[in-house]
Amino acid sequence: MLLKSMSLTNFRQFNGTQSVNFSVDPEKNVTVIMGENGSGKTTLAQAFTWCLYGATDFDVQVVLNKAVAQNIGPNGEASVQVKISMVHLGVDYIMTREQKYTTDSTGGLKRPNNTVFKIQYKNKDGQQDFIKESEVDLRMKEILPKELAKYFFFDGERIGNMSKEIRKGKSKEFADAVKSLLGLSAFTEALEHLGGRSSNTVIKSYGSDYDSKSDSKIAQLRDEIARYDARLEQIEKRFSEIDNEEDTASEKAKEYEIKIAENRDSEKYAQERAKLKNKITSLEQSKVSSTTGVIDTFNRKGASWMATKMIHDALKELADADKLDTGIPDIHARTIQFLINRKTCLCGTPIEFGGPAYTELNKVLDYIPPKSIGTLIGQFVRECELKSKGAADAFDDISNKFSVVSEFDADYAELSNQIETINKKLEGMLNVGELQKKYTFYNGEVKKLRSERIRLSEEKGAIETKRERCETSINELVLKDDNNKRVARFKAYATYMYKYLFSVYKEKESEVREQLEETVNSIFKEIYNGGFSLKLDEKYNIQIQVDDFDGYAGDVETSTAQSISVIFAFIAGVIKMARENNSDENSMLMTEAYPLVMDAPLSAFDKTRIKTVCDALPKVAEQVIIFIKDTDGEIAEDNMGSKVGMRYLFDKKNEFETELVGR
Amino acid sequence: MFDKEYSFKGTHAEKVNKLTAKFDDKNQLFKRNLDVYMMAPIVGFLYQKKAEVNTGDGAQKPTKIFPQQLIENGDDLAFTYRLIMLLDKKNAASIDERVDKAFRQFNSPQAENDEKLFEQYVLGGVDVLYEKLIESATSTEDYLKNLYDFMEDMDDRYNQTIDADQISALCRLAKR
Repeated sequence: MLLKSMSLTNFRQFNGTQSVNFSVDPEKNVTVIMGENGSGKTTLAQAFTWCLYGATDFDVQVVLNKAVAQNIGPNGEASVQVKISMVHLGVDYIMTREQKYTTDSTGGLKRPNNTVFKIQYKNKDGQQDFIKESEVDLRMKEILPKELAKYFFFDGERIGNMSKEIRKGKSKEFADAVKSLLGLSAFTEALEHLGGRSSNTVIKSYGSDYDSKSDSKIAQLRDEIARYDARLEQIEKRFSEIDNEEDTASEKAKEYEIKIAENRDSEKYAQERAKLKNKITSLEQSKVSSTTGVIDTFNRKGASWMATKMIHDALKELADADKLDTGIPDIHARTIQFLINRKTCLCGTPIEFGGPAYTELNKVLDYIPPKSIGTLIGQFVRECELKSKGAADAFDDISNKFSVVSEFDADYAELSNQIETINKKLEGMLNVGELQKKYTFYNGEVKKLRSERIRLSEEKGAIETKRERCETSINELVLKDDNNKRVARFKAYATYMYKYLFSVYKEKESEVREQLEETVNSIFKEIYNGGFSLKLDEKYNIQIQVDDFDGYAGDVETSTAQSISVIFAFIAGVIKMARENNSDENSMLMTEAYPLVMDAPLSAFDKTRIKTVCDALPKVAEQVIIFIKDTDGEIAEDNMGSKVGMRYLFDKKNEFETELVGR
Repeated sequence: MFDKEYSFKGTHAEKVNKLTAKFDDKNQLFKRNLDVYMMAPIVGFLYQKKAEVNTGDGAQKPTKIFPQQLIENGDDLAFTYRLIMLLDKKNAASIDERVDKAFRQFNSPQAENDEKLFEQYVLGGVDVLYEKLIESATSTEDYLKNLYDFMEDMDDRYNQTIDADQISALCRLAKR
């Protein structure tokens, strides 16, 4: 298959009819179409799949150009068309897909009509002819099945998914498609014809040729076998469904397991945060109560505390002046007056008016009742003691409370910081409970599917045994009948041929697979020069293996660049093999080369890898069409240089209109 | 003494108002004018700061302490009065004279000048308290910090040299 040209009419941002010719020159087999972001590269790439399969990856399924749509007016119509002309197995084809859009009385677009797909070809006489409408999809499937198309019409942005699909081999359709590309379809069709699943294969048709009228027992047994076959077919079908479902479910389970592990800490953090918030609250409370406490102590005890020094000094003054040495117990001024009047002291000393004893006794009057201030002083001293004791702890108390207040800011900031740190950690974390639920669900699904498979395997074994017994019984019965003997012989031939062809096919198939593995590997190593190699299993699953690491033989996780390299290598490998088979005329394998249409394929690569990819692709593929943004495009053109046969540029007029111009 | 209404006037009224104003949503440094009145003479005496009654710019309304409050706290006020009288050697050099002022003359017609002296210390104390606690404060934290610094300053200057034992020992002398 070689793409010759494509023309678009009113397809998304391509207003009016615009065409692009692709280089078909075997030497200059590269067509580069360059454009800035949003100019229509992806649209053009999608135009291929829209035309050939009627599907796009766009979110909006309306493909009619916006400017055109606005100008239709009420009750009018406009149509979108993409036309691709190509050569496939020496026949010229023109594929056309058209879709009509009509407007209502206010000029709004109605739901578009279904698309109409036509394939036109040049017949042996050189006349243009159309493929029957009922056969167009089938023919398209022969030319390039949709399952494979996405690997040839290749979108750089979907690379992650594609890599996964390729590495898992995905479906039987995929393996079949690869086989058909590699030219093994002649084998598979012959095998299907002889002894495949369908009810009208050669071997089965002999079965119905048995003359079973004479022997109702045979008919009965054959009914039984048919029932068993139907059930076996159901089981087989269910097996492949289970495979897919189990893959999906275990992938999901694993995904959630990883998420759970990643988010396990979130609960812990949330608790920690709650604790810290409590601490902040109690810190705030203690600041408030300490502030109040400082003020309260200051008001209640401040004055007395400040007076401590004065109290001390006052007491000292009084003590030094003997003022504390107060009075004589139980002596009253009357006692002294009495002694002065009788002129003799208690000790017998005479008291003379104005003499020393007289003066001394008069002094005593100051300290005894009623003139005494001793009582006042005594009371004063008691107050001194009380006040100094009561206020002794005032400053310590205030210091302690004040330190709580003054450390508040630092403590508060510290706690806030810790909370902030936790908040950051929690940002983006998911609820573990929800994840756990999902994990449990998917894990349960996997278990269910596994036990279903075990159950089905047992049933299958039992049915096969029963079926074999029926077969044996039939054979015994049939051999009795000459006609049936003949049919049995033919059937034996057919069965033998089937088995023989199957063994040849198996051999050839594994040969092809090994060869593909080799080819893919050599291309992979050229593109991605790391210590990895690729391994293909029977289902065409790709595994990436480490070459130079002893003791590890499993599949390894891949980087983006590795993934893309794997895809390039795989596609390039398939294309290369297909092309080589094509030139080998004697081969039993018949196949056709395919072009490689790539949208933004290089963005994930560094310069070195772009160079190796640019080197490798035009050599392996018969035709390369690249849609690329300007910066990558320049590197690509530098590297492919002489291989480029056609150049185009997207000229973006506005968001809804782009024109294609040659360069 | 301490049985009639007392009014702070002029600048002192203004300062007392500020000392008793709320500095945040619930706290005030002094709860009542009376609390200022009880601490101020001690501070005035310790800082040896006296001040005269003034009328300020005349616009400031006086702020009062009701007689009832003064009577209820008369003992504490009398105690402070006695302390000052006992210790102010400028007022009277001899201890006998000071003891007379503190005890004998308290609340007598002879005490007129001493009472004036007491009020001068009260007003001087208000000036000191205002300067130390209010003047530089702008935030809640400042008020509290000023209060603490003021106490710490006092502690450094006076209280650290005295311990409770010394006072107890002196008190014991009186009980012989």
